[in-house]
Amino acid sequence: MSAALLARHEWRRLVVQPFAWILAAVVLALMAWQFLIAVQAYLEISPKLGGLKDAPGVTDLVAVPLLRSFAHVLAFVVPLLTMRSIAGERRAATLPLLLASGLGNARLVIGKYFGALGFVIVLIVLVALMPLSLGLGTSLDIGKIAASVFALILYAAALTGIGIACSAWASQPALAAGAAIAMTGLLAVVDAGARMQGIANAGINYLAMPTHLEPFFRGIVASVDVVYFLIVAAVALALAARRLDDLRASADA
Amino acid sequence: MNNPNHPAPLLQLDRVGRRAAGRDLVRDLNLGVARGQTLGLLGVNGAGKTTTLRMIAGVLAPSAGRVLLGGEDLYEQPGLARRRIGYLPETPPLHAELTTREYLAFCARLHGVARGAVASAVDRAIERCDLGDVAPRLLGALSKGYRQRVGVAQAIVHEPDLIVLDEPASGLDPVQALKLRELVRSLGREHALVLSTHVLPDVAACCDTVAILHRGELRHVGPAAEPVSDVVQVSVARVVDAAQWSRLPMVADAQAIDATRWRVHLRAGAALDDFAAALVGAGIRITELRADVAPLETIFLSIATGDVAEAA
Repeated sequence: MSAALLARHEWRRLVVQPFAWILAAVVLALMAWQFLIAVQAYLEISPKLGGLKDAPGVTDLVAVPLLRSFAHVLAFVVPLLTMRSIAGERRAATLPLLLASGLGNARLVIGKYFGALGFVIVLIVLVALMPLSLGLGTSLDIGKIAASVFALILYAAALTGIGIACSAWASQPALAAGAAIAMTGLLAVVDAGARMQGIANAGINYLAMPTHLEPFFRGIVASVDVVYFLIVAAVALALAARRLDDLRASADA
Repeated sequence: MNNPNHPAPLLQLDRVGRRAAGRDLVRDLNLGVARGQTLGLLGVNGAGKTTTLRMIAGVLAPSAGRVLLGGEDLYEQPGLARRRIGYLPETPPLHAELTTREYLAFCARLHGVARGAVASAVDRAIERCDLGDVAPRLLGALSKGYRQRVGVAQAIVHEPDLIVLDEPASGLDPVQALKLRELVRSLGREHALVLSTHVLPDVAACCDTVAILHRGELRHVGPAAEPVSDVVQVSVARVVDAAQWSRLPMVADAQAIDATRWRVHLRAGAALDDFAAALVGAGIRITELRADVAPLETIFLSIATGDVAEAA
């Protein structure tokens, strides 16, 4: 109950700030531009595709690449949205209000988490509406698009968790954003060395986010990939809650 | 520290201590505050006031001992803090992007006020703290005085049993400080109130009891309003000599502070109005007559400077 109250409050605080709207506007403009370019390119090559057997359709050439590209954008957008969730409270000396409210650390972190994730999910839905609008004039592989959107939501859930954890550990919002972007980058390339040596099924590959993201964009929804993102989010939130314990005792909480 | 006018304490600190980084921030605190009673917590910077207030407010669990609220352990039932404690930290925890009303409504819900009762609770807090003019304004645009009052409002919006205020008058101008003092005094009549401050007159004006912390230890607990001292300071219009003082029957001793100011020790039981009448009768024209350094200040300074003297 209290976590839901805090989540709504976080959402409210986000949407009354110009920063969130400006960020959303920039992101949507960028994705709309990419979308239009992809549609233009598709229209130019579609006559040549007609003669090919099993030719890729608009889903494979426009929708999925757009959503895959949005995943890269999220890696920067989510840390910017979460950077102030706890570090900003510390900076503004408002964290004691929440610490003294009797909310446990876990509820506090979960409330912050869902407040930020809600905003990110709205962005994902708005971006997803772009390729879905093509359904008015052509047939789409809805299953593959749904899997891709699901992937983005899971990916955003993990990124939001990382962002909240970094915001709890960093004393400044900018540091929190930088740390979250670095962590996400690390999880993106952690198996790069192994892949260059042709290793694709080792433990190190399991740690890498792209290993679990790509199957969704091919329309494959595997529970192992779902669990991976949920584990990343849960571990990050546990670390954030652990950090709040320290902050309760520190002078600058 | 419980006096007969107050019932059993609502808040009880039972041998409370907090350790961090291998050292005691506070240790072995025993304190109690009843409803309708105001406890002033005094101490120099680093004495352990804020740590103590955080433990009382439910923010920071003690390493030793128990914090009891209405007989129940605060840290075994964290919900107690939510419903029954209002806490104003040293810096008011305000969300600058919200209006006063929005913010107080959130605080009310956060502290467990039912959805249907939020509007009336907010109205009450706004009226109590005289925030009507700024209710629709963004908190980020408020003056320091109003921000402090909104901070108090968020601490009382859920009608808590215990109010904990950390340096509420910090940084306010004298007029704002006076208004806040009146507010704190009125709150102290209805709630149990713990107040931390550096300002000794605030303690004398608002508190029933004072506790002085030094280096994490409780060094003094006693009534905030001590009996009037038998040492007075007298400023005179014309120069007088020591012999003139000794001729007054109620004067035990008199020392010159400078040419026109004297510190006069009255005999035990001497009344101040008799002394004033004797001064007039003796032809000593006075321009000021006041109690010498307040006893509370004397106690505080002797505790605070004791270690300096020892070190020297």
